[in-house]
Order: sequence, then structure tokens, then C-alpha cells
Amino acid sequence: MRFSFGLLMKFGLLRHLISLILGFIAENKFIVSKRCQQAYCDYPQRLMPTGDDTNTGECNAMEKQKSKIKSYGKLLIPMTLSMSLLLSACSGSGSPSEASQPEGASGGSGERVTLKLEVFDRGNAPSGMTISNNYLTNYVQDNFGTPNNIDMEFYPVPRSEETAKLNILMASANDVPDIVFTYDSGTFYRYASQGGLTEVGELLDEYGPNLKAFLGEDALAYGQIDGEQLAIPGRRLVLGKYASYVRQDWLDKLGLPVPTTTEQLYDTLVAFKEQDPGETGGRVIPLGMSVAPAQLDSLLWSFVEPISDEERITRTQKLGSSDYPVLLPGYKEGLRFLNKLYHEGLISKDFALDEDKKLLWQDVQNGLVGAYSEDAGELLFEYNGTYKNLQANSPGAVMTPIDPYVNAEGLSAKPGYAPNAMFIMIPKSSKRAVEAIKYLDWMASEDHLFFMQNGVEGENYTLVDGIPVANADASQDIKDRLYNYGDMAIIVNGKYMGDDEKNAEAYIRQVPEVYHDMMRTSVEISDTNKSAPIIMPVPIEAESRYGSALRAKLNEIIVKLTMSSPDTFDTTYDSLMNEYMAGGGQAILDERTKVYEDMMK
Amino acid sequence: MRASIYYARYWRLYAMLVLPVLYFVIFKYGPMYGVQIAFKDFNFFQGIHGSEWIGLEAFREVFNNQEFYKTLRNTLMLNGLDLVISFPAPIILAIMLYELNINWFKRISQTILYIPHFISWVIIGGIVMQVFGTQSGMINNVLNGLGLDSIPFLTDKNSWLATYLATGVWQSAGWGTILYLAALTGINRELFEAAEIDGANRFRRIWHVSIPGIRMTIVTLLIIQLGNMISIGFERPYVIGNLAVRDFSDVLSTFVYRIGIESGQYTIATVVGLFQAVIGLIFLLAANTIAKKLNGEGII
Repeated sequence: MRFSFGLLMKFGLLRHLISLILGFIAENKFIVSKRCQQAYCDYPQRLMPTGDDTNTGECNAMEKQKSKIKSYGKLLIPMTLSMSLLLSACSGSGSPSEASQPEGASGGSGERVTLKLEVFDRGNAPSGMTISNNYLTNYVQDNFGTPNNIDMEFYPVPRSEETAKLNILMASANDVPDIVFTYDSGTFYRYASQGGLTEVGELLDEYGPNLKAFLGEDALAYGQIDGEQLAIPGRRLVLGKYASYVRQDWLDKLGLPVPTTTEQLYDTLVAFKEQDPGETGGRVIPLGMSVAPAQLDSLLWSFVEPISDEERITRTQKLGSSDYPVLLPGYKEGLRFLNKLYHEGLISKDFALDEDKKLLWQDVQNGLVGAYSEDAGELLFEYNGTYKNLQANSPGAVMTPIDPYVNAEGLSAKPGYAPNAMFIMIPKSSKRAVEAIKYLDWMASEDHLFFMQNGVEGENYTLVDGIPVANADASQDIKDRLYNYGDMAIIVNGKYMGDDEKNAEAYIRQVPEVYHDMMRTSVEISDTNKSAPIIMPVPIEAESRYGSALRAKLNEIIVKLTMSSPDTFDTTYDSLMNEYMAGGGQAILDERTKVYEDMMK
Repeated sequence: MRASIYYARYWRLYAMLVLPVLYFVIFKYGPMYGVQIAFKDFNFFQGIHGSEWIGLEAFREVFNNQEFYKTLRNTLMLNGLDLVISFPAPIILAIMLYELNINWFKRISQTILYIPHFISWVIIGGIVMQVFGTQSGMINNVLNGLGLDSIPFLTDKNSWLATYLATGVWQSAGWGTILYLAALTGINRELFEAAEIDGANRFRRIWHVSIPGIRMTIVTLLIIQLGNMISIGFERPYVIGNLAVRDFSDVLSTFVYRIGIESGQYTIATVVGLFQAVIGLIFLLAANTIAKKLNGEGII
């Protein structure tokens, strides 16, 4: 008995010890920087302690990388370390006068400053590069940083948990980068309403003429709240979202026409199921489905009935960054259609498990899927490779882009993007607002954006009709230079060429040449009958409060209604919608109605 | 004088305590400063100290939230079922292993049983999907091949529950045997021999010697488990769960993640966390009291 207790202790202790050590390594930085909060760290440009500024210097030295300390001579190290030990003992207190430095009052005149930038980390850095040290970060450092006497520091945030990580960063206050961004408007509104963002209107006028011209008033309007420019919205070039695809070789084999209406598509799916033209041995999935908007939205939006503007504005719910027609008439019938497809075996039984489309892509590549909706052209891009792999796995497989989901008016209504991309924000705690604007302005000026997106002429691309076409036979090293250009060129979403026509053409030419025609049709389909998201004059507070939770709830509703027995569909719908409304849906509806009424007054 | 001799002799023991005590102060007591967020309208940019006090408003909001009750119920249900199904599993396994006489076989089986413990839940989630999927899962493919209907292991609530519990047993039972095996080794061999001479067969020996011998270990672990009734790991329900079974798979930890971390409502998340801690403490003390009454000794 005693033995068992001893063992228990040992295991407990061992675990504590390990977590202590790991925790210490992880938290060490935090503890130190916490001590140095505000009072000391307002002069990060000065690493050398001089005279009565000693404290300031020490604290910063701890925050900077050790390599930088080294360069100031070996003697300094023991001094620095011992001083910072002393410092950490006298935490927090410091003369208040040191704490206030006029915002952004620094610049090229001799002092070297650090500009900290968020960057999305997708975990796909090629060997020899890291997300914070690669060809493009070096380009930025050499062409913007060094000439302006600024050290560019890139702060990686995992793409998949962008908002979660950003929330934590913002809450930490002293570790937060000078430039942060999010696609989620709810998050932007929350930060803005809590007073955590720098108003950049004047800074833009003074330091960002190129940036302003590049973004245009339309996009900039998305970053304004009550007349204050609290975010700089990036510019989105391609505004279409979705297209659908069907296996042409299956259609040909069965002698079927390309479906152009929802009914025809349904008949086609039934034929795929019954006659199994792909000889899958009964494993055929006539319609590829997942719980992602790309698969659901084309279908669901086409069921929404034609309605007045008032209804459209008040009853639409914006959850996260997209509009959802949850409360609009007809949405329920869309779900009923999904239910029918599910129970007739026309969509995958596992679609509810597939939130990131991975299962779907696997099934498409294995030649099991007859038709599906997708982000326009997604399957053609080299990084995705779905179409290429499909053709490799099932010789003779051909996909045709289609636009089959039509509404009561015979239009293929579908959602599109707003003309803005990410919300780029400068936290209020940042002392480098001026440099941040300068950086964004630099990116928008001359050919810097072009270079960041396309690389070196002759090595990465050749100009054809004024449009850069990527060199397919470039060596991997050269291709790797631009592996994260999309995440580095934050002021734009899409390749910027100068005018709309060229932008669209450049977008199409991103896919391998053999797919250009298919890509062009896909983009056209995604542009057809698309509706831009509704802009409300003021942010809807309930949306930023309940948005994420309701988004999850809506997915649950879609899945449950699709899988529920057709007999209990209506009762299930009622009880689930009750939960949805109670969980914030009603609050959003009320607030939108009120804002609409105020607007009409 | 006496005291100084005492300290001169034993100071090393106290010195050894410093690290663990520091650990608790820094990582367990330090964060308690943040508990006040539950009573404040937390503002990211004003920090904990600068945010406004709101009293019990956030508690009212949580206790009026249907989702909260659903996740609370699920947490208790999943933990309760785990207690019934997964708690006895390592005990049975340990006794079976202990009864093995062939040493190399025993060691190999032990190692094989431990391995799942070292696989991360994310990977287990992937395996579970490949094995139990309805459309393309391994088991259902075999069933379909035999002309049988698919079983929705992951998308039907009740089947999912079975999958969830089975995965838990598979992952942790082997590792859990360590403590019981250690306790079993501590039992005096003579007791077994005496029982054998008295004519007790294998089952009688297990019932009258092995189990009473590890009773204290069982009670200890039971109390710990009961204390954790209200808290549930995040990974397992999050990874194994899916949208179709959210009625069962949505638990307090996933609720806190969604509300707190994803929606940035730290106040609500802290309220739930505090609630969990208080209820957990009550459970722990209650279990300990019951154990004391039953056994005459508890662990606290």
C-alpha cells in the first residue's frame, strides 16, 4: 500500500517537474516582459544603456534577441544580465515620465527601431526557410527596413487558429505586434469598440498617399466606424466565390446533358447513383458535400425566395465574415432538399465529419464524386492538385464547370465577396503607428507589390501581354521564394496588375496553362448573379458577440436537419431554430431591425 | 538551539521542496489573480486591473444560457460513463497481467498496451475516422462487403457514445495498469501461498487477496477521478466529436474554447472555469468523506 503511494508521488512529481521545466522555458519570456511592462520598454531603439537611462536599456536588452546583445561587446552581457535580475526583483515600479513617448514620434533620424508584424503561418515553409526568415522577409528588410533604419520582425500566427491566437496576443498588451490583421469583422468590431485600435485617418493622409490611392474609398469604408478609420481593409480583386463541377465523362457515358437547373442536377445525381458510370463498385458519391460554405452555399442560397430589401437587410445574419440567409424564406426548403439528397444516398454519409473539405477532396481525387460545388477553380490550383490527381487516378476523367442551382426566378443566385480583404489594424499600444503606415504605403508604391507577388522577371515569370506568367520550369529554389506571397502582400487579396481586366486575367493565369479555359469559365460562373454582402452603417454588436457561437450552431443545424428523418424534419427544424434564436439569433435580428429603422428615418 | 541543529541537519529536505512550491505558487496560485475576470467586464486593452466591475452579471448570463446546461450535462454524462466503463478497465487488465506467469509474454503485452497512451488525440481522431466512418470507414466497408447495413458509429448519438468510450479505454487502460501493478507487487506473496494451500482457486485468490490488497489504490484513484467529474479534457471530445453528435459531444471545455477563446468573451469563459473549480472541490471533498466512512481512511 505504502509502495503504491510512493509510486504515485513519484509519477506526480516527475510530471510536475517536467511541466515545470517546459513551462519555465515557455513562460520565461512572458515573465520578463511582464516586468518590463510599459514603464521601461518605451525606448526599444536604445540597446546601449547610457547614463540615467540604465534601466530602460537593460529591460530592452532582455527583450531583444541575444545576438543583438552580443554585438555590443562581451563585457556588456554579464552586466546586462545582472542588472535585469535586479530589475525583475523590483517589478513594475518606475518613474512615470518614462512611460509616455508621443505616439510614433521616431523615424529615420539615426535611431534604429523595430517594427513587429503579424504573419500567417500555414506550416508550409520550404526547407531552408522559415515563416519569419525567408526570401520575401529579406526583401522587405532590405528594401524597406534597412533604408528607413527599421528592423522588421515577423510574428507568426497559425492560420487555422488566427482569431484565437490574436485574442491572446491583444490581451497580452505588451507583446502585441504593431501590425495585426484578421478576416473576421466581428473581431475587428470588438477590438474597435473596446478602444484598442489606433485611429489611422490622419496618419493615412500624412504618410500613406500611395496606400490610399491603391485601396480606394470603397475598400477603406469597410474599416470605418462612426467616421473613424480604425482599420485599413485590404483590397480584394476577385469578388466571385463559388462554381460547381460535374464529371463530363460520366455524363457522356450515360448520354446525359450538362445540368443547368436544380431539377436536372437532381436527375443527373440519381442516374449517377443508379448506373454508377465510374464503376466504383457502389462507392459512388453522386454529390460531393462537406460542412464548408463552399459546398453548401451555392445550393442553399438558390432556395432563398425573392424578397424586399428590407427583409434582406434585417433578416440576414452576418456570422464571422460572411452573410448567412438563415432566417430568409426558402432557406428551410434548401435544407429539406439536402435532407432528401442525404436519405436517397446522393451525398456522403460522412459529410458531417468533414469540416475542412479533406474527405471531400480525397473522394474527388479517387474518382468517387460525380458533381460538387467549390471555391471557383480551387481544384485547378497547383497547391490543391485535386483535378490533377483525379486525372492521374482515373484516366479519362474530365470535369466541366456548371452553374446548376437556380432560384424561383431562374437565376443562379449565390454569395460573392465584399471588395475588402483583411482588416489590417494597428493596436493602440503600438508606438510604431507611423512606421506601420509607412510600411503599408511602401508596399503600395512603385513595383514593390508586383515584386512580392511575382518575383524576379526572367527567373520567376515572363511577361506575356503585360501579364506575368509563372515559369513552370523554374527550379524549386526559385519557386520557393514566393511560397507565402499571399500572406506577405497583406494589402491585397489576389494578384494586382493595375486594372480589373488584367487582375482577372492574372488570377486565371495562376493555374497551369492547360486549365486556363476551365479556370476562365469557373470565374465567370462565380461572377454570375452573385450578391455582395450587406454593409450595415454601424457594426452590429450582437454579431460580434454571438457570431462565432452561432456559426457553430448553424453548422449543427444544417447537419442535424440533413440527417434527421424526413418525418420529423419540421419539428426538428422548429426546436433547433428556437435554440438558434435564443442563442443570439434573435438579438441580431432585433439589432439589425433597429439599425434599419434608424437608417430609414 | 535544538531548532538550529534540526535545520542544520535537514535543510536539504526543505531545499528540495523549494522547486515544487515555486511551481505551485507560479503556475497554480499566480493565475488565480485572473479569477476576478469573472466579476469584471473584461476589456482586452485595459487589462484585468483596468476593466470595470460588473458583480454577478456574467454568472446570470451563464446560468441563463441553454448551451451551458447542455454542455454541463454532457460533461457529467461522459465522465460518469467513463467512470463506469473506463475506470475498472485498468484494474481488470492489471490483475490479468499479474496472473501471467510467462515473463517475456507479460512484458510484451504490457508494452503493447502502453503504446496508445503516447499517441496524440489528433492522430487517434484520424484513425477513428478511417476505421469507424460510415461512408468509407474500414469496419463499415467490411460490413457492406458482407451485405450488411452500415453502422453510423460516429454520426448517431448513441453509437458515438460507444465509440467515444471504447476509444478512451483503448487509449488509457494500458497506461492505467502501472499503478495497480505496482500495488499488486506490494502484496505479500505468502498471502497467495496461504490461500492456495487453503484450497482457494485462482478466482478466489483474486477476490480475497489481490483486490483487497489494492483497495487503497483503487479508492485513491476513484477519489481523484470523482474530483475531476466536472472537468473534462478538451482534446478527446473535440477530436472524436462532430457536428452530428454535438448533443452529446459538446462539453464544458469545448464550450469555454468556443465562447472564450474564439469569441473573445473571456468573462464568460472565466465564469465557467470558476464554476468548474468550485463544483470540482465539492465533489472531491464529498468523495473523500464517503471514502473515509467506508474505509476509515481518505486521502486528504
